[in-house]
Amino acid sequence: MAKHFQRTGRKLLGIDRQGWIKGFFGGNATLSIIILFLICFFLITEAVRFFPQHHEKLQLHRKSGQEYVNHIITEMNEYSQLVSLTNQAYFQELNEKYALQRGISNSFEAFLDPLEDDGEDLIEALEDAEDDPEALAQAQADWRAFVSGVVEGANRADIDSFGRLDDASWAALKKAMIDYDPVEEEPPAYVTQAQQELRDGMARFEEAKNEISSAGRELKQLRQKLVKIASKVKDDAAAEESAAERKKALLAGAETMTNEAEKAAQIEQANAIVIRDEFPFAARTEEIAASKDAHKAAVAELKEKLGIAVAKLPTELSSEEASALLDQVRKAHPPFVKWLDESVAKASTWQWDRKLSFFGSAMKFFFGVDWVTNSSWHDFYGLLPLFIGSFEISLIAIMFAVPFSIGAAIYVNRLAGRWEQTLIKPAIELIQAIPSVVLGFFGIVVLGEGLRDLSQIEALSWVPGFPMQERLNVLNAGLLLALMAVPTIFTLCEDALNNVPRAYSEASLALGASKLQTVIKVIVPTAISGILAAVLLGFGRVIGETMVVLLVAGNKIALPDWSAGLGVITQPTHTMTGIIAQEMGEVTKGTLHFRALFLVGLVLFTISLCINVAAQRIIKRLGHA
Amino acid sequence: MNDDSVTLDSADAPVMGIDETIIKIDDLSFSYDLGKTNTLRNISLDIPAGKVTAFIGPSGCGKSTLLRCLNRMNDLVDTAKVTTGKISILDQDINAPDVEAIELRKHVGMVFQKYNPFPKSIYENVAYGLRVQGIKNKGVLDEAVEESLKKSALWSEVKDRLDSSALGLSGGQQQRLCIARTIAVKPQIVLMDEPCSALDPIATARIEELIAELRQEFTIVIVTHNMQQATRVSDRTAFFYLGELIEYADTAKIFGNPSKKQTEDYVSGRFG
Repeated sequence: MAKHFQRTGRKLLGIDRQGWIKGFFGGNATLSIIILFLICFFLITEAVRFFPQHHEKLQLHRKSGQEYVNHIITEMNEYSQLVSLTNQAYFQELNEKYALQRGISNSFEAFLDPLEDDGEDLIEALEDAEDDPEALAQAQADWRAFVSGVVEGANRADIDSFGRLDDASWAALKKAMIDYDPVEEEPPAYVTQAQQELRDGMARFEEAKNEISSAGRELKQLRQKLVKIASKVKDDAAAEESAAERKKALLAGAETMTNEAEKAAQIEQANAIVIRDEFPFAARTEEIAASKDAHKAAVAELKEKLGIAVAKLPTELSSEEASALLDQVRKAHPPFVKWLDESVAKASTWQWDRKLSFFGSAMKFFFGVDWVTNSSWHDFYGLLPLFIGSFEISLIAIMFAVPFSIGAAIYVNRLAGRWEQTLIKPAIELIQAIPSVVLGFFGIVVLGEGLRDLSQIEALSWVPGFPMQERLNVLNAGLLLALMAVPTIFTLCEDALNNVPRAYSEASLALGASKLQTVIKVIVPTAISGILAAVLLGFGRVIGETMVVLLVAGNKIALPDWSAGLGVITQPTHTMTGIIAQEMGEVTKGTLHFRALFLVGLVLFTISLCINVAAQRIIKRLGHA
Repeated sequence: MNDDSVTLDSADAPVMGIDETIIKIDDLSFSYDLGKTNTLRNISLDIPAGKVTAFIGPSGCGKSTLLRCLNRMNDLVDTAKVTTGKISILDQDINAPDVEAIELRKHVGMVFQKYNPFPKSIYENVAYGLRVQGIKNKGVLDEAVEESLKKSALWSEVKDRLDSSALGLSGGQQQRLCIARTIAVKPQIVLMDEPCSALDPIATARIEELIAELRQEFTIVIVTHNMQQATRVSDRTAFFYLGELIEYADTAKIFGNPSKKQTEDYVSGRFG
């Protein structure tokens, strides 16, 4: 029988050409799915192992008493902020009100160096001539000539390096220097008078300041003592956990040794390691537990002394800045006292053997407010500041990017002429071609400087957060990310607008609507799901961006200071992406820190995934409409 | 808009008696490519008020283009241009520099080939034209919506679901909604660009009935492929071929006793 309709062509391994081509494309698709799966698997397995490890660390934190001592540390930290504010106010007032007096006193001391160094011989001559009036007169005359020579020849900028002296007092000081007695080292009357004025004027403030600084002395001593104990307990406990392993390793090492003496020494060393079933936390932390009363007493003392000292703070200051700082101290004082009571109450519930729930330790990751790594005390892994940082920056970026990109998309798609379209569209899409590191560089050098200069303009001081303290901050990073999000949102938005049937706009125009009315009343409402999806995908792009935020966000791990209101946007922050990029390079594989970073990565991945799924859902709904 | 600009406001517009010329097309040539080639060539045509005028002709003869010239929908094409002649509606040259296309379209409404209600509620579709004119008064809108829907024979079918989406209506209903939307702004002229080509025969019949109703109130210009439809609905018929007006006369004459050979060939089905 003749062969009809048979497949022709050579076969390789029993598969024909069509089959190979199909296999190639199918294989590519399969491979990408497999890779995605592997990434997820790797990410999740590493990240999830964080939780038990973290739980264990937190348990040790509690058992070793570190948890208790940590309360004291935080109390001290909060307290030292009050101290620091007071000190700032003190020096501000000193510098402003007694600038002249400080200038005189400091300048006098600056004069002493050249006088005592170069005039050594003359001073000796003065000392030697004490009993000989004639020689004394001669020596004094020489000394005076020398002093006036030095004084006249001195460079004013070197002596009065802060420029505190006016011309009159500079002349007066120069004149007074002649009276300096180098033998008795007695300053001239002009200088002593200035010093006296300064001391008298600041006496009350200084007293209050010193009382505030010393109010926490007891607590500070307690902290020092307990930190030492808790650290030791923690280190010993950690060491003992590995005791069995160390012993085994030492013995194994001894087996291979040929030198009998060394071998014996090593075996002895190994046997010295005692393996206990349980580390005696109770005994070791006895002293910490017994300090609860001392803690209470120290805090009570701090509260009492602080109350007296704060009441003593002067109310009438000549420096506005100093008054503002002191107002801050007075305002912070009552809540601090209240918080102290809460902190002590919380601390007193500590017991080394109280059970720690697994859920609780997991929550310490998600809602923890500290991220401290490589600390000799205790490592904290709190996601919250990073999460808020990422969110703040993305929100600002989206707020700026959305009006720009939607506006541009509407303009290009519906209102612009042909040549405008051919110019604007590629220009916006070209923004995507800028490497993010270059954008970051631009953000540091141009935008950062520019924003800071702008924020210092007096007329703009009503803007929240202006003038800015930091050049690298949320606003700066947000603006740059907005620039990065614009092409994404613009392109997707333009597609969405393009998908609106021409018939709708024709119908609207035929009814006597203007182009703008058509856009607002028909085109945008019809394309709204596509526009929403565009915004969401823009958000996804922004929250995952790393380089720019690493360079520009300021990288300060702290919760925003909400007391600044909207001004929080000019504070520096750190982000989830930034922390991974910054720290992943220097962690050891398998450590808690390593896994914490993976968990942060997993959180990011989950957020991105949710955003993408939501965007796809919205786009699908558009198809049904 | 400045004060000198001419608007075709109904108060100022001359009232047209039946058979008076409402649209005067004089030696019109029109190009889609800035005058390189003319899609319409030297067309002169007077359309009477209060009648139905049909444009017929084979595909690409320019009948839709001419219709879109009448409300300046061709403005949407950047390179479109009237090369010679002029169109006067209510004695106003509609391509004069001080005529606003938006104002013109309030007086010259249009119904499209494919029904295209907005993805909004039935009510909002009909109220749209009034809303863009700035009318916010709910009473006025309600009244206009009801009146328009009644005139387009849709009221009884949709009065209980005015707030549901217009896209849930059948094709014929959607096209009648488009007509209601157009007449809600009370234009003098309604242009219809093959309004039944996307509809089944029953829906088509209803639209034709509607056109017969509406002729009492509006001047209607309808483009159609369907010669039976032209005979059924129109008073006057213009036959176009390759961008030129071949013959323009009473419908009965065009289909019964055409004076040109090309017309006869076309209406008898020999080409097209």
